[in-house]
This record gives sequence, structure tokens and C-alpha cells, in this order.
Amino acid sequence: MSAARRIVVVGSGMAATRLVEELVARGAGEGVVVLGDEPHAPYNRILLSAVLEGTHPVAALTLREPEWYAAHGVDLRLGARVLGVDRERRDVMLADGTVVPYDRLVLATGSIPSLPPIRGLVRLDGRLHERVHAFRSLDDCTRLMGALTSLGVTDPCGLVTNRRPSGQKPAVCDQTAGATHTRAVMVGGGLLGLQVARALSVRGLATEIVEGGEHLLRSQVGGAAGRVLARDLRRLGTTVYTGARAVRLSDLSGDTDGADATGGTIGTVGLRLDNGYTLETDLVVLTAGGRPSTALARGAGLEVRRGIVVDEHLASVTDPDVHAIGDCAEHAGRTTGFVAPAWEQAAILADRLTGGGAVHTGSRTVARLRATGLDVAVLGDPERAAADGGEVVEVTNPVVGSHRKLVVRDGVIVAATLVGDLSRIGLITQYFDRGTRLAGAEPGQLLMGDRTAPPARLAADAEICACAGVSAGRIRACASLDEVRETTRATTGCGGCASAVRELLATRPALSGTT
Amino acid sequence: MTHTHCPYCSLQCGMRLERRGRAALEVQAWPEFPVNEGALCRKGWTAAGLRGSRERLTSPLVRDRASGELRAASWDEALDLVAARLTALRGQHGPDSVAVFGGGGLTNEKAYQLGKLARVALGTSQIDYNGRWCMSSAASAANQAFGIDRGLPFPLADVEGSDVLVLVGSNLAETMPPAARHLDRLRERGGRVVVVDPRRTATAQRADTFLQPVPGTDLALALGLLHLVVARGGVDEEYVAARTTGFDVVRRTVAAWWPERVERVTGVPASELRALADLLVGAAKVTVLTARGAEQHAQGTDTVLAWINLALALGMPGRESAGYGCLTGQGNGQGGREHGQKADQLPGYRMIDDPAAREHVARVWGVPADSLPGAGRSAYELLDSLGTDDGARALLVFGSNIVVSAPNATHVTRRLEALDLLVVADLVMSETAAMADVVLPVTQWAEETGTMTNLEGRVVLRERAVAPPDGVWSDLEVMAGLASRLGSPVAFSTDAEEVFSELGRASAGGRADYAGITYDRIREEHGVFWPCPSAGHPGTPRLFAESFVTPDGRARCVSVEHRGPAEVPCDDYPVHLTTGRVLAQYQSGAQTRRIRVLPDDGPFVELHPMLADRIGAHDGDLVVVVTRRGELKAPARVVSTIRPDTVFVPFHWVGANRLTNDALDPSSRMPEFKVCAAAVRT
Repeated sequence: MSAARRIVVVGSGMAATRLVEELVARGAGEGVVVLGDEPHAPYNRILLSAVLEGTHPVAALTLREPEWYAAHGVDLRLGARVLGVDRERRDVMLADGTVVPYDRLVLATGSIPSLPPIRGLVRLDGRLHERVHAFRSLDDCTRLMGALTSLGVTDPCGLVTNRRPSGQKPAVCDQTAGATHTRAVMVGGGLLGLQVARALSVRGLATEIVEGGEHLLRSQVGGAAGRVLARDLRRLGTTVYTGARAVRLSDLSGDTDGADATGGTIGTVGLRLDNGYTLETDLVVLTAGGRPSTALARGAGLEVRRGIVVDEHLASVTDPDVHAIGDCAEHAGRTTGFVAPAWEQAAILADRLTGGGAVHTGSRTVARLRATGLDVAVLGDPERAAADGGEVVEVTNPVVGSHRKLVVRDGVIVAATLVGDLSRIGLITQYFDRGTRLAGAEPGQLLMGDRTAPPARLAADAEICACAGVSAGRIRACASLDEVRETTRATTGCGGCASAVRELLATRPALSGTT
Repeated sequence: MTHTHCPYCSLQCGMRLERRGRAALEVQAWPEFPVNEGALCRKGWTAAGLRGSRERLTSPLVRDRASGELRAASWDEALDLVAARLTALRGQHGPDSVAVFGGGGLTNEKAYQLGKLARVALGTSQIDYNGRWCMSSAASAANQAFGIDRGLPFPLADVEGSDVLVLVGSNLAETMPPAARHLDRLRERGGRVVVVDPRRTATAQRADTFLQPVPGTDLALALGLLHLVVARGGVDEEYVAARTTGFDVVRRTVAAWWPERVERVTGVPASELRALADLLVGAAKVTVLTARGAEQHAQGTDTVLAWINLALALGMPGRESAGYGCLTGQGNGQGGREHGQKADQLPGYRMIDDPAAREHVARVWGVPADSLPGAGRSAYELLDSLGTDDGARALLVFGSNIVVSAPNATHVTRRLEALDLLVVADLVMSETAAMADVVLPVTQWAEETGTMTNLEGRVVLRERAVAPPDGVWSDLEVMAGLASRLGSPVAFSTDAEEVFSELGRASAGGRADYAGITYDRIREEHGVFWPCPSAGHPGTPRLFAESFVTPDGRARCVSVEHRGPAEVPCDDYPVHLTTGRVLAQYQSGAQTRRIRVLPDDGPFVELHPMLADRIGAHDGDLVVVVTRRGELKAPARVVSTIRPDTVFVPFHWVGANRLTNDALDPSSRMPEFKVCAAAVRT
């Protein structure tokens, strides 16, 4: 690739990695520079809670090895923090002073965790209190896992080292093995908070969630779904405080857990809520979501509202040679926080960077909780869609802990909330993604269970043997299995009807007049 | 009493034929033949029903120029006419102006001879066959991964020893019913059967686990399963390190296919995916078998590669009662692709652009190697080019009913109409024969001798049981008659056993080596598995125990990505259409629709009650299925066993393939029969 088409990507997260893959697939990987501030090879960020839970080893998250980038001519620089963008000179400067010129700059800087206004959260040196954890990056995850280890929480599956010798079954993972009295509080009851809470519960921790809003998942679902979720979580052993804000973190001296073998300075902390409670805990995890990482863009004088404002070409409205994709981008007044739209943007941008004319029109999102024992899917924005006049078809069943709501407009499912019962998720998601126009009764049918047919006596013309095309009547007319075989050929094909034939013969009425 | 094999599918069930009277035949069980152990489905039991049928053609037919009707002609007249027209076309437009189209139902001898006819007597590169529309995606994938394409690298009965058998897009309980007995035995042993299909088929009903993905998403499903196998530590690292290459990139590729993403693409709930992954990881012996449902896609080759990657990651191929295989469809789908009727191949599965291969085969044929043409067009591309400026102007068809079986059939039929000359050899007046300028009546299965290679790579012998009707020639006689009239530099034998031994010499040293196989050995050994390079070689029932057939002996893990079907539902065509078979019919139905005792109910449209409600259709109502290529009106069959976003039409009758998409797989050139966007209405 000539210098005149030098593409520089800032970020090495999910959106950036997909962009590079798409460029490579189009034969345009040569010469692309990727500047990732994390030291790790690009990994699948959304599976970090699975690592925490123990269902995935860290190694299974790596999306591409550095060798892959090299093999395709992509200049991947890890641990490369960008300090600034100079749009006049068209270059970026790294923390180590290196200057990287660009013709097209792609900002895929993602988001950064929100810090809730809690006194004592941050130490004087600007770092988080050592009992407090963010959960955004692999390093965050590793730090939290390290804290679990030092608190005596064992890895239930030994996933880091497991290998499967030829022909042997792997050991069954015992998820209760790690049971301890360790406690953790999640600050923020959104998707991440629920996932981390479940992961830590599975690891044997006693978990609590503090959510400032009136119910859980308030950005995604309504009160009914949130209440069902809270009940499900309590059933699973997680305490939920809604409508409560954490206001102050303090070290507890003389705590009873301080006697553990790790000794040293660590002790439990107290998290004071604005309702007067103080939660005593070993760990605090900040799961209050994130905000687009826009500092670079601001510094470069690009228009930033919540995110970096881009047009339908995913180009900054300020500078057509600078693009933004993924969590850091704002298109049509919206930022997303999901992978699927980030990847759609990556594909569109790759097309445009290689001379194509793809246009971004917005994405359909499906938010799917990945947490053992909690089934949640949110399609689109159900609360907004309902408020905008969508028709709501919903079924709440507190007895089994399910709440399902479809928002329908002109026969099309435009949004949905599914909690506690995902039996039709595969079909509902297809209809949502395809914009399939349904008949009036269908949304209701989708929320109903399958009708089960009552058992019936087989009619004489019911086909028993498909291979030979034999009806129940013809089998009942035979006296023995041999006669069935000889005269009808039933049971002589796939053999699947053998038991049905035997049953028919056994229950056939005795022939009258025989001696 | 004659021992032979069923005329239909790739199972090639053994059967005995007893003469009744002068010409009638009765089918009897042959319990000693191991593949089916005496079992047959109704197609097999009634296979003799076409004998003596009034539907049989018994005289060559030539289209009368004045009336446009077909009229009876002598063999000399018909063959002289064909040879003269072909010679004239070649003289005027070159040898590639004549094309040949074969079939996966032809015996090995016929398939071999047809390839030789094209390359030697006609000198054309334009030859391909309908097997391209059968298992070519699996063939292409297996060649890439294992260095060899033998549908099953082990005897079918081996699956009984598996702990988990995964059937991807196979409805074998209906398409090859006696094979289902192996599933039952596997389950009696405590093994599990997994079926992946958009329809809860008869096969799915005898499975322990059933996954119902959106048509065209089997690839994503395989990526998702491998993701979970990696995450759960289920990869057989020792095997992968010792016996494969390329797995590292595959491992990274599937890191992006977590269960909830797979759920969104495939419509299979993440919980079901996890349960299946756990089953696979916990099993010592896993067998994965794909069939047309996974393969007949524009990403069919990659789909098969993804499932092979899963089998390799689990360390299965080469292990006893485990591994990967393809359930071939047509009777000689396996042998038919090995001996030179494929556009790019010479006998013995040799590649036509390989100088050594050309040299070897040319020597057996007694012609100079440089006289052999190069690679021609694949089946659909060949038909698509007929009658165009650079396409063929004449077509010879053996053993195929193109009008029914080609995708985008209306278009293909127009291409056939654009020909200067269409010659069809068939036993009955098929829809394609009815369009021909010259129809040549040929023998059917019990009236001729020849070998078939079944889905296991087992070469079996169909023996002649009865003389053909007067006026009917064998295909070998037709080819010899044409070759001599075309001034072929070498003679063409009409004796099947002689042709087979020539085929053996031509295949010697090739990947599909038949050199050591004889008719007598087949009779004595219940078939012989290739490769069998010499008379003293026992044949090869099982491949890969020691190594794969790649240069370094290792299997290749090829990294693949899900692209999705060529056509996705939209406002105008909101549902998926998929196609397939029913138990009582076979392929284009040219034979089975003419067997009186087999129900010939015509096509139907299978749809879910919710979809039926949406369009206001009741069971039995006529409904119309429309795609961008055509439409079909047929009765609705309302069943809750199909996905509500999908309709199914069987392809044995004219109509289904007017709807199907001709998008091709880039590697196998397989058309996308199994999914396209459709509308259905009353």
C-alpha cells in the first residue's frame, strides 16, 4: 500500500480487530497500523465475565495472535498509548514520543468505566482503593481474579491448565467447590453488574448488587422485568438493593475476616448507602457502565457530544479523514455499547476505506445476558418503542419467574424483553432482525407454549411404516410379526416401526370365529 | 437368482433378484450383505416395477423437422445423425461446441467411459455431471482437509460404536432408511444421536438431541460448538499437535463465536448449544456426518470444513468408530466423481491439469497426452453457457434429468432450448428427454452389469439378471457406437468387465486406486474398498488411522468464516425456502414416479401452523411459493415440525427447482439448493 493510503487505527478492541479483519479480507491489510494501549493481543472483551465465572480460560479469548497481523502486513503495536492527534500534520503521537503519520485515522477507542461519586473510592494517588475493582479490560479481570485468589477463592475448574489427553473425558467442573464466605458488592445493576454478580456467585461468593435506579437493567427493561429479575437473583442468592446509591467507602478496622492467611494490610471495607445501610464486604466491583472514550477526539478538536459525532460514512462531522466506530462513536444521536453494531460499523468502514459505498443506517441491537442461571434478552429498546406507540404484547408469570414482552408496530416486532423464559428466542430474534411482518395473532402465539396433542388411538389409515407405506389397519389385519413382514414389508426398512408394530399386534382385537 | 444392489441411493443395499416367468423380476432380501443386512425400503422392494413397463423407451427417437414431433428411428439412423451433427459443429465451432452431461447414478464403467468419450472421441473439455449438485462441497472440503475425498472413510456400521453421532443436514431415515438401523443400535449401546436440521424429520424423531437452525447457518453453528469445546478445554491438544496443522488460527477465529452470537445467527438457543458442546466434550468417540442439508449452499465447502475442524479438534478422525464423513446421496455419487466425468478430473481422482496424470491416463487410452483437453466448466456453469457465444451448441446427456434437477430450472430449460442439438440417453421419457432432438433408449439396472461405489467407498457389483427389451442398448454400446462414428482414434469396449479392468489401469497410482479390484473379488468379498492398488491388497475399509493423505500426513484445519446465504429474507420474500426428498421418491423421480405402487402425490409445501395462519392457509389448500426465479403452486402440508420462518418443498417433481437459487460455492461450484428467500401465499 502506498503511503498516500496509510490507515491508522487507534484501539485494538472488538471494533478495531473486526475492522482489521475486514480490511484483510478485502486484501487491504498491508500497511495498516494498529495502536492498542493494552499490552495483550486483541481479545474478546465480552467474555471477560465468563473468565471470571470459570467457563472460559483467558487463552480462549484471544481473537488474533500478533503473528496473524504480521502475516497480513498489519503493523500491530501493543502497549502503544496515543497522546494526541494533530489533524493539521495528519499524525498521532504516542506516549513514547513516536509519531505515526496517517491518511485516514480510525478512532476505535471504546469506552471507559464510569466512576460513581463515592467518597473513598479513589485514593489520594489517583488509583482505586485496593478493594475496589473496575471490570472493563483483561487487566481488570486479572486483577479481580488475583484478589479472589488471595481471598482464598479457588478456581473451580482449573481451566487455566486443563488439557484433554487423547480419549479421556475431562474432569467435571464442580462449581460449588469454591464456596467461601467472601463477599462482593456490585455497584451498578445493569447487564455487566448482573453478569459479574452471577459469575462471583458461581465462584462461591456472597454477592450484593446496589442499583441507584428503581429497578435492575433500567437502561434496557421496564419495572416488571426488573422486578422479576431481582426475584430471580434473590433466589440465586444475590441480594439486590434498588433505589439506593453508594455514597462512601471506608476501611473497617478490627474486622472478623482480617485473620486470613494473606494477612497484611487488607481488610474488609464498608460501603455506605444513601438509605443508611452499610454493606460490609471484601470486594467492590464497579459495574455502573461506561462512557465513550473521547478525550483524544476532543483534544483534536473533533465534534464530541456523548460520543465522537459521525455521519453515515462513519466519518467525523468535523474531519472526513477521521473516522470513529464502536462504543466511542455517536451516530444519529446514539452511542451503543454492544459488539454487533460495532462490527457492522467495522464492516461498513472497511468497505468505504477500500473504495466501496456502504452506508451506515443504524443497527438493531440484541442485548443478551451471559450469566449462568439468569436468562435475559433485550431486543432493541422496548421501553422507548412502547412509549413511541408500539403495541405491547406481554406475559408475566411470577410463579415461574418469567416476563416476556414484545413491542409490535405494523405487525413487526420492533423490540422485546425476555426474562426467565427464552424458549422462543431463536425465532423471535430472527423475526426482529428480519423485520418479518406477522399476523395479528402471532405475537401472542409466540409467547404461548406449544400445544401438546392428546394421545389418540391410531386410526386405521395412520401410517405406521413409512419405509414400506403400511397403515395401522393393515398391521392389525396380520396375525404375527412374520405375517406383517411377509405381506406388508413393514419393519423391513429402517426398522423404526418395530415397536409400534409389536404394540399394534399385541393390542389387536382377537379375531372372532377363529378356533 | 442374481445378487445385485438397489438401483437408487448411495447405500447400494444388497438384494437378490429372482426371475418370475420370462421377464418379470422379484426382489428378495440378501441378508448376508453387511451394509443393509437384508433390509430395504419400499423403493428397493419395488425396484423391479419398471421392468416391462409401458413407460420404457424401446426405440431411438428422432425429432422430425417438419412436424416437430419425435418419431421412431433405427439405431443406425439415430447415431449417424448425432455423429454427423456433432462432427459438423466441431468443424465449424471447435471441439468445445459439444458438451457432455453425466450422472451420479451411472456405473463406474459408464462414468469412466463417458469421460473418455468426451476427452478422446469428442476432444471436448466441456463435461460435468449432476454429482456436482450432490456432495461436491463435502468432496472439496475433504480434499482440502484430508487430502482425499472418500465420503465415509470407514464402513457405515462403524457408527454403531460411536458415543455421539452428529448428523448435520441428513434425513437418512427417509433418504436411506436401512441406514437408520445403525442409529438404533448405537442408541441401544447407550450412545447418543444428534440431528441438526431446520425440520424435525423422521431422523430427528429418533435422535436424543435435536437442533433446529435457520437454513444456511450450519457453519455458524459449527463455529459456536468449537468455541465452546475450546473454552471447556475439550480440545485434544496432543492429537491436534501431532496430526493437524492450522489449528491455531482456527482456535482464534472461533473466539469470536460465543453462544449468544451463534444464537442470534442460527436461531438455536445458546442453552442448546452449550448442552451439545458438553455432550461432545464428554464423549470419547464422536462421529460427525454431513449431508446435503449442510452441503448444498454457496458456503457449503466452508460449512463442511467447519464441521471437520470440530471433529479434528476433538481428535476424532482416524480413531475407531469416530471421525468425520459425508453421506453421499446418489447411487454412484462416490464412484461417479472418481473416474473422469468431472470437469477437472481424470480417472483415479487425478487432476486434469497435472501433467503426470495426463501422461498416465493418455498412455492407458493410447493417445498423446497433449491431445487431452484441459479443465472445463462445472455443471451449472456448463448449462448456463449453453447456446451462448462461448458455450456449447450440442449437449449429450446420460443419466440425468436436468429439467427437474437443475437449480433455477426455468433458466436452465431456456438454455437447453437454445441448443442446436440435444441428445438424451434414458430409460424413460424424462422431462429432459422430452425436449431432446434425439432420444436413445438404454438399459436399466437389472439388464446390465457394472460396478457402483457406495457411500463407504465400497465397490459393489450389480449383475445382469435379465435381458433388456428389444431395441434397448446399454450406455456402453451407445458410447462405442458414437465413438466409432466420430472417428475416435481408439476403440471403446462394450463389455463392462473389460471396461472395469481398463478403469483399474487408468486409476492405478491415483488417489482412488481401483487397480487391484476385480469382479470376482467383489463377489467374494461383499465389495472391495478403495484404494486397492494391487491384486494382493486387501482394500482399505478404514482410512486415516496412521496418517492423512496430505503431503505431510497431517490434516489441515482451514479457518473459515460464516458469510450466510446468498439470499436473505426481505419484505417481498420474507421466509426461507429449503428443499429435499421424501421417502417414496428418488431424485428427479424419472424412475420412481413411474413405479405404480409408489405414491406419486406431487410436490407439496410444508409450513408451520403459525405461518399457515398468517397467510390463511389450511392443510391441503393450494398455496403459491414465489422466489425471484419462479413460482410453484402446490397443496399446503401444515406441520409443526418445521421452523415457522421456513417452508419446504420436495424436489422430485418439476417446480421446486424453478424456485431454487443458482448462487454457487466458490470452491465446489455447488448451487445453493438448500436456502433462498421466498414468499408464500394462498
